[in-house]
Amino acid sequence: MDTIAIPAINLAVIAPEVVLSVVAMALLLINVFVKSEQKGYLGYLSIAGILGTLLMLIPAWGSSVEGFSGTIIQDNFAIFFKVIFLISAAMSILITDKYLEREGCNQGEIYPLILFATVGMMLMASGTDLMTIFLGLEVLSVSLYVLAGFNRNNIKSNEAGLKYFLLGAFSTGFLLYGMALTYGATGTTKIAKIASYIAMNGVSSSNLMLVAGMILMSTGFAFKVAAAPFHMWTPDVYEGAPTPMTAFMSVGPKAAGFAAFARVLLVALPALKPEWSSLLWVLAVLTMTVGNITALYQQNIKRMLAYSSIAHAGYILVGFTAGNAVGTAGILFYMLSYAFMNIGAFAIIILVGKKGEENSNVSDYAGFGYRHPVLGIAFCIFLFSLAGIPPAAGFIGKFYLFSGAIQAGYIWLAVIGVLNSAASVYYYLRVMVFMYFKEPTEDFEWVKLTPAFVLCLLIAVIGVLVPGVLPGLFLELAQKAVLM
Amino acid sequence: MEAYLFYILAVVTVIGTVMAITEQHPVHAIVYLVTSFFSLAMIFFLLSAPLIAMFEVIIYAGAVMVLFMFVIMMLDLGRPSEASRPFLRRWALPMLLGGIILVSIVTVAVNHISSPDTSRMISINDFSVVLFRKYGVAIEIISMQLLFAVVGALYLGRKRDDR
Repeated sequence: MDTIAIPAINLAVIAPEVVLSVVAMALLLINVFVKSEQKGYLGYLSIAGILGTLLMLIPAWGSSVEGFSGTIIQDNFAIFFKVIFLISAAMSILITDKYLEREGCNQGEIYPLILFATVGMMLMASGTDLMTIFLGLEVLSVSLYVLAGFNRNNIKSNEAGLKYFLLGAFSTGFLLYGMALTYGATGTTKIAKIASYIAMNGVSSSNLMLVAGMILMSTGFAFKVAAAPFHMWTPDVYEGAPTPMTAFMSVGPKAAGFAAFARVLLVALPALKPEWSSLLWVLAVLTMTVGNITALYQQNIKRMLAYSSIAHAGYILVGFTAGNAVGTAGILFYMLSYAFMNIGAFAIIILVGKKGEENSNVSDYAGFGYRHPVLGIAFCIFLFSLAGIPPAAGFIGKFYLFSGAIQAGYIWLAVIGVLNSAASVYYYLRVMVFMYFKEPTEDFEWVKLTPAFVLCLLIAVIGVLVPGVLPGLFLELAQKAVLM
Repeated sequence: MEAYLFYILAVVTVIGTVMAITEQHPVHAIVYLVTSFFSLAMIFFLLSAPLIAMFEVIIYAGAVMVLFMFVIMMLDLGRPSEASRPFLRRWALPMLLGGIILVSIVTVAVNHISSPDTSRMISINDFSVVLFRKYGVAIEIISMQLLFAVVGALYLGRKRDDR
């Protein structure tokens, strides 16, 4: 009888993913024995798991190991993104417990699902085979569908879960079809081999199958990062999902989508750069403009931040369109700072909400800045950073994204980006106007800080201000992580 | 010969799939989908991939469709009274499509077209070697994903807790 010789397994490549999945499965078992009021401890255990994974990743920085016959790589690019995923997961977990308790949905399954979604994102960032990227995306999506509908007793959350599931499955079809066509045109699913096949055989933009594959894959990824015109699901899902999960969904999966998108386009299909950069140009302009203009007249702050997250996907697409080192470093830096500012902003939104009453209209924030001065200042810092106003990290990130575009000769794209960014200041400032210039109608006595919230907000404020004031170190790290 | 068979079967597949989408009655839609799976399996066979053809029949036409049927009957969505009325007209097209598939199978069997190119044929041995050597990690990922899909389904499908 033949035996299958299993090739040497390089576990170091997927060690972080393995640790995190084992922690997730262990939590699933522990969950059975934990009483409903004490589910918060599972959150702390999962944060311990995340910290362990982080400690494992940091020594790997600077080296590039490949494994599993070239389907997975752990290079600086992957590590940088993995750190973003882990930070955003840990921060979301910190604000989850209290929210679930308040909404009467204190179920322990949420923590393993968050960890498992993070594993999926990590696989997407380090996959060098279209198959691994696709499986990572599926792992992420399946967990996210459940997380979006996690508040089972709330009909809006149910709607969010179902909507995300149906549209997500639909977009996965596009992605898979694009991958199949690319495989058909090049005969391989390995990203590096696709590039070398194209280079050797002179397959160019005249090959319709390859171009169609590229367009369909871009469609699939654009859906996942919520770029217009594939953004329709975003506001409904972000509004309906439990707020900590909205924070989680708006950062990690977006970053993972961009990581996989960047690896596929920059490494596998550099030969099609003229085609994909003009495609991304259109996507970037549409995404920024649709996101910002629609955000201008949103009354619900969760919806507003959903449209703002669409607009931010547009800014990142600007750096992506450039396709050069500066633009790519800008993507990495921006995703990192976006994690801090967005989760910070959502943490405040959770604090202002009450049971069954999310208080998520902009007018509900009237006078909030006077009742809770420290929280008010923190919220202002996050909003300033989202708007891209100097001392915050959001400014430096946008600066790099747009200067990458200028360097690559996309002057008009940068101009449109800056104009959009200026327009976005209006809706961020509007919240601040309500916070400071309107008479308070409520006394906000229900807003109670827990240590976990304090920690989350502290990390977020530091994460927004330090890279904003001292961008050198972070930019250097981002430049070392660029794919080229 | 194979080329003709391919085009005929491709048309059958497309018709079957389109009908599966447009058909109002869920049971009829499933019958069309099974038809399309069978002709797809024949196409795989003609492409010298008998193993994939087998998988198509056993897993998709067999297991998945039976599961669909089971769910439909369990939830009582079949509307049997409605289904039985104009019997012949309803079943003419699926029977025609199924007949074409049957004829093509017989043709292939009679002409001994084992597969167009035996040297390219993938045996179950080759398949499993590639699967476990090259894509071992993919299998692990899929199994983890199924585990968490089950966790998610169990969580969302549990009885409402009004606390």
